[in-house]
Parts: sequence; C-alpha cells; structure tokens
Amino acid sequence: MIRLLGISCVAVLSALALSGCDAVRRTPAAGGSGKVIEVAVFEGGYGIGWHQKVAAKYSAMHAGDGIHVDLWGDPRVAEKLKPRLLRGDPPDVILLWGMPVWMLVGAGKLCSFTEALNAPGYGTHTPWRELFIPGTLDMYASNGGIYALPSAFAAWTCWYDERMFGEHGWKIPKTWTEFDGLCKQIEAAGIAPLAFQGKYPAYAWNTFFSLIQRCGGLGAINRLNALEPGAFSHPDVVWAARLMQEMAVRHFQKGAMAMTHTESQLQFVNGQAAMIFCGLWLENEMKQSTPPRFEMRCFNVPAVEGGKGNPALFNGEGAEWICVPTDARNPKEAIEFCRYLVSLENAPDLGSSISEISPLRGGTPPSAVSPGLQCVLEMMKNAPGIFTVRLHLLLLEWNNQVLNPALATLLRGEVTPEVFCKRLDDGMAAARANPDIIIPPSVPYDLAKFGETP
Amino acid sequence: MKNRREQRVFIAVFLSPALLLFTVLVAIPSVRALGYSLRQWDGLSTPKWVGLKNFAALLRDTDLFWAALQHNLFLMAVGGALTLFLSLFFAAALHRRVRGTALFRVAFFFPNVISSVAIALLWVLLYSTTNFGVINSMLMEARQALASLGLPWPAVDLPFPFVDSKYLIYSIVPMMVWTATGFYMVLFLAAMENIPETFYEAARLDGASEFAQFWYITFPLIREVFTVGVVFLVIGSLKLFDIVWVMENQQPTKESHVLATVLYQKVFTEYNVGYGSAVAVLLFILVFLATLVTLRLSRKEALEY
Repeated sequence: MIRLLGISCVAVLSALALSGCDAVRRTPAAGGSGKVIEVAVFEGGYGIGWHQKVAAKYSAMHAGDGIHVDLWGDPRVAEKLKPRLLRGDPPDVILLWGMPVWMLVGAGKLCSFTEALNAPGYGTHTPWRELFIPGTLDMYASNGGIYALPSAFAAWTCWYDERMFGEHGWKIPKTWTEFDGLCKQIEAAGIAPLAFQGKYPAYAWNTFFSLIQRCGGLGAINRLNALEPGAFSHPDVVWAARLMQEMAVRHFQKGAMAMTHTESQLQFVNGQAAMIFCGLWLENEMKQSTPPRFEMRCFNVPAVEGGKGNPALFNGEGAEWICVPTDARNPKEAIEFCRYLVSLENAPDLGSSISEISPLRGGTPPSAVSPGLQCVLEMMKNAPGIFTVRLHLLLLEWNNQVLNPALATLLRGEVTPEVFCKRLDDGMAAARANPDIIIPPSVPYDLAKFGETP
Repeated sequence: MKNRREQRVFIAVFLSPALLLFTVLVAIPSVRALGYSLRQWDGLSTPKWVGLKNFAALLRDTDLFWAALQHNLFLMAVGGALTLFLSLFFAAALHRRVRGTALFRVAFFFPNVISSVAIALLWVLLYSTTNFGVINSMLMEARQALASLGLPWPAVDLPFPFVDSKYLIYSIVPMMVWTATGFYMVLFLAAMENIPETFYEAARLDGASEFAQFWYITFPLIREVFTVGVVFLVIGSLKLFDIVWVMENQQPTKESHVLATVLYQKVFTEYNVGYGSAVAVLLFILVFLATLVTLRLSRKEALEY
C-alpha cells in the first residue's frame, strides 16, 4: 500500500509539473558575463530563416562582447507570449504579430524607440528615424513615443496577370471610370473581373480607405484617424462607399462572399478572375500554386475623377512590427539588435531572401525582388508619400462587431452607403465613449507635403 | 477496522489524481471566471471591480449576445429536432431488420469517428462556390436539367454562397444532422434491442401496425434513453464552437456568432476578459437550466420490463 501511495504521489507530482509547463521556450542562461538576447518571431508565410540568418550574423559580430542572439519562431507566438508578458518575463525583442499593441502601450509594457531613432542608423551617420520611408513610423506613435518599429513594408494594390492582360489587349486603368470599363471588358471575355476574399470582409477595408483618400483626400483620412464625430458620414466617404459597393455588386466574382482568402486567390492565379486587391504578401503566399506562365504584377488604386486625393499616393504602412518590452532583461542590447535588423546592410537580403520590401528608403534594390514587387518600388518612387488608417488597430471591438459585418452588408448590396457610413460612425461614437479604450492623439498627414490642396 | 481504513486510503489514492486535476483545471478556473465576470480587465492591466456591469452590458447587447443565443436556439430546435427524428427513424428501421443493417449502422456512425474540425473543413469544400463545390455543381446541373425541360429555376443565384456569414447558421443544420444522426441512432438502437421481441409478437397478433408498434411499444420503452439524447443535444447545441469557428475562419460576425464564439472573440481577440467571462457564466447557467428543464419535462415513471 505504501509503495502504491508512493507511486501515486510521484505520478501526481509529475502530472502537476507537466501541467505547469506552458510550452514556452526559455532562454538559456548566458555563460560568464555574456548576454543572451531572446528574440521571438511570428513564424508565418515568410518563415524565420532570414531572421535566424541575421541573428547568427549579429551573434558572430558580437562574440567578443559575449552577446548572443537566441531567436525562435512559432506560428502561435502571440499565445505563447501573452502569459510571459503578464508575469513580467518577456523575450527581449518580439515580432508583434497578433498582439494588442495599443493595450501593451497603455499598460506600459513596451519601450519607446524615440531615443534610439534619433541616434544614427546602423552603418550610417544619418539618424535612424530619417532612414525610414516617411509615414511608416506613425502606426504606433503616441505622445512623442514610438513603441513599435516596422521591419518590413506593406502596401495595398490591385494585382493582375500581365500575360493575360497582354493577350486580351487590356490596359492598366488610371482612373476609376477606366477601371470600371476594364472590368466590363474582362466580363465580356468570360472572366470574372475581380476575385474577393469574402470570408474576411476586412480585405475590403483597405480598398475602401484607399478610395476614401482618392475621393476625399488626406483630409478625410486625417478625420478618420482623429476619430472625428461624423467622419464616416462625410459626403466624400459616402461617395467612396458607393464606389466600393458598385464595384462589389457589379464586378466581384460570383460566390466571392463565401470564399476564403486562399480560395479567392487561387481563383485569381488560376485565371478564373482577372484581378484581386491584396497586400504585398500575395505573391509569396500563392507561390506554390501560381502557374509558371503567370506574370504577377500590380497597380495602384486608380484615381477617382473629381476626387480631392493625390492619385500618386498609395495605401502603405510598416509591417512585421518589432518591439522591446519594458520588462525585457536586456532592453539596451535588444534595441541595438533591432537597429542592426532594420538596417540598410540587411535590407537588400530581406528582398532577395523572403521577397519583402524594407521599410527603409531605397533599402530594397529592384534587382532584389520579383517583377511584381518591382511595381511597388516604382509606385514608391513616384509617390510623395504613403497613407494608412489605424482605426481598426485602436478599436478592436469596433473592428470585429461593427466594421466587418457592416462591410459585408455593403458589399452584398444590402444597405445603402449612407446607412453603412452611419453604422461606422455610431460604432465609433460608442467606442469613443468607452473610457477603457486607449485613443492616442493621431499623427495627421500634412496635405501640402503630400501634394494635396489643404 | 484496519481493513476499512486501508480501503479508504486505497479509494483516496485512486481518486486524488483525477480530483486534483479537476480542481486545478476545471473548478478553480471556473470560480476565477466568475470573479473575472465581475471585473473590467484587458488581460494586461490591473482588473477593476465593476460588479454586474458586464452582465448588464451583455443582456443589452441585442446585436451580439441575443443574436448569438438565437443562433444556438435555432440550431438546437431545428438541427436537434431533425437529428432526433432521423435517428429515431433509422434506428427503428434497423431494429426492424432492414436488409444491410450492419452496413447502414457503420455508414451512419462513420461521421462520429471524424473530428469536428475535419468535418467542418469537409463541408466548407462541399459548399464551396469554386469548382470544387460539389453541392453548387449539383445545383447547377439541376438548373441546366430544368432549363432543358423548359422549367424555371427558383430565383436563387448560383453558385449559392452557403458559407457566407449570412447563411452559415442555416448551412450548419444539414452538417449537424449528418454528423449527429449516427450517434443517436446507435444510442436508440441499443435501447431498442433490449426490448423483448415477445412484446412485438403480441402486438402483431393484436393486429398493430408498424407505426403503432413503434408508438406504443418502442418509444415508451426507450424514453429514458431518448431523454438522455435530448439532453446531449441541448448541451451540444448551446456549447457549439468548433464548427462555426472553423467555417468562419476564426472571424465570425454577428450574423454567424454562437455564444461560445462570442466568448472566445471577446476574450482572445478583443481582450475584454470581463465581458467574455460573463458570457461563459451565462452559458453555464443556460446549459444547466436547459438540462434541468429537459429532465423535468421528460420525468415520468420508468417502465420496467
């Protein structure tokens, strides 16, 4: 009996010990006086190979100082890090995919990069801040602090197959009327003009606010970012919603509202649909399924005739955000590693290794990326700047419960653009009234600097 | 005396691991969830005591909580009723020795050995609006066949977006029935097979029809098992999560939410732990009450035979 009791106790203790494991990797203790910088990276479509390569290079360069970068990745990194952030034991650097950044900022869990950004970038005398593409640092800027840095660049464009366009003699549209005409031409050829990731109505959000800029200029974008009452019901925004709805009802592929992103993107690369609005990850995401003859290219959202927006501007932002938690064991060393990670030295390899564009100006040479991404570099060359909206990141509940369902009803043609915009305004008003939501002051775009009339 | 004490220790030794795990993994988190439901907490900052504010907000939330509850109730009523009807029907048919009983039993039970996530993915493919969608392809064939006969097609555009959030709850019903029927059929069939054949022989001698035999012999004698089936279905429908979550690609909207997906979205994507915990507490109360009501309504003296 005593033996049985002993065995049972061991079993129970083992079970408890196992249940205590949260499957989170721990940083090995550094030997001697050395320091280990633990870096946790989201392991998505781009993998972590490039990050590991940079980490290994950095460790080799600083072997003499006893600094070693221990970089690990996981597709569910956010879930693994939340408990560590809560108990004050986070990694030194986090690639913030799927994390509630503004909540972390509000809870004082993230270091500001402001001081580091004013110091020279890695390998240059230019302040690090000035190396970034203007606007890419705004997403997580608040009260003079910058709490997350982009390690890549993202943009929202319309993708097409150049070979298909060439075979049919279709031209890239410069204006919304031309775009509508092109869709009609495509339809006449028996092809669906536009694939759409309908199971995620949020995919329409980026196209929608691109159209808001085209119709109402950056003034309209500034009003949205400032959460101004009635910002969505402004006639320019209602106009953009109408264009969005007409495009969806007339030109979306049949059944698109029931398609996932992979289904709809497959329709696009298989030639069932001629175009698709998507981010820069599209090419990489569909690499395995894209036929060899497919010539993926993209163009900027066309200008809207009579609109106030500068059509050269494009919907772009920083991506693959990195941060340093305030509870990190080695925050100073962590920021130095970030400076190396997002440097002109590593930027070309980011393009050639994993087809990502660097957030640093001129960081990605055209030769480092595919012809599809070269189109984006060309857009960047011609654009005085980029714009984005951060509402959906600030107002998580509004995003889930108001924006996404409202977008779905707009795209299905079930509500008028006016009703749609009023819903967004009402939801935003409710969110503004919630004292628990952190709403940092917005960073308005300077219209004149971006080639628009104030 | 010594024997009794030894016996108690023996029982305690065998019960303690399960009890400990239950306490650590179920009881304590449940009590803590109740505590969170009375607080405002984003999972990062210090929780703030708000009393019943989360419950009040939840009950006022017609767009989300009540809509989700309606979806649960719809699935329970329609999906559950269809499942019970079909499983009783098939069980009775197999009980009366239809040819190929063994094959049918395996075929109907088959969906139960597949995980619900795999089933959801399978039905997403069946419902797909792309060329892979078997159901839409069949509907298109049917439309063509009707057109060739000069008959009109109902005013429904094809391919029909079955898994669009707007139609998802309705599209789940056939899947739910397909998945669950086999399980309940086996449950009822096992109960039916315990009924002595002599009852049916006597009924046949009295000239009772097949339906009369079912209504006056089979059903009353399996009523207790049937009640268990109803309780399972009620609990299952109220707790439904995985199918909606998978078919909505982790982004259900108010058109497709059920209570469990509201709970998850509130806690893990909106970081509103208090509100999400309030949903969890109400879900527990609902499941408890529904089970109680079901058992009470079906309480009758058990027939012994």
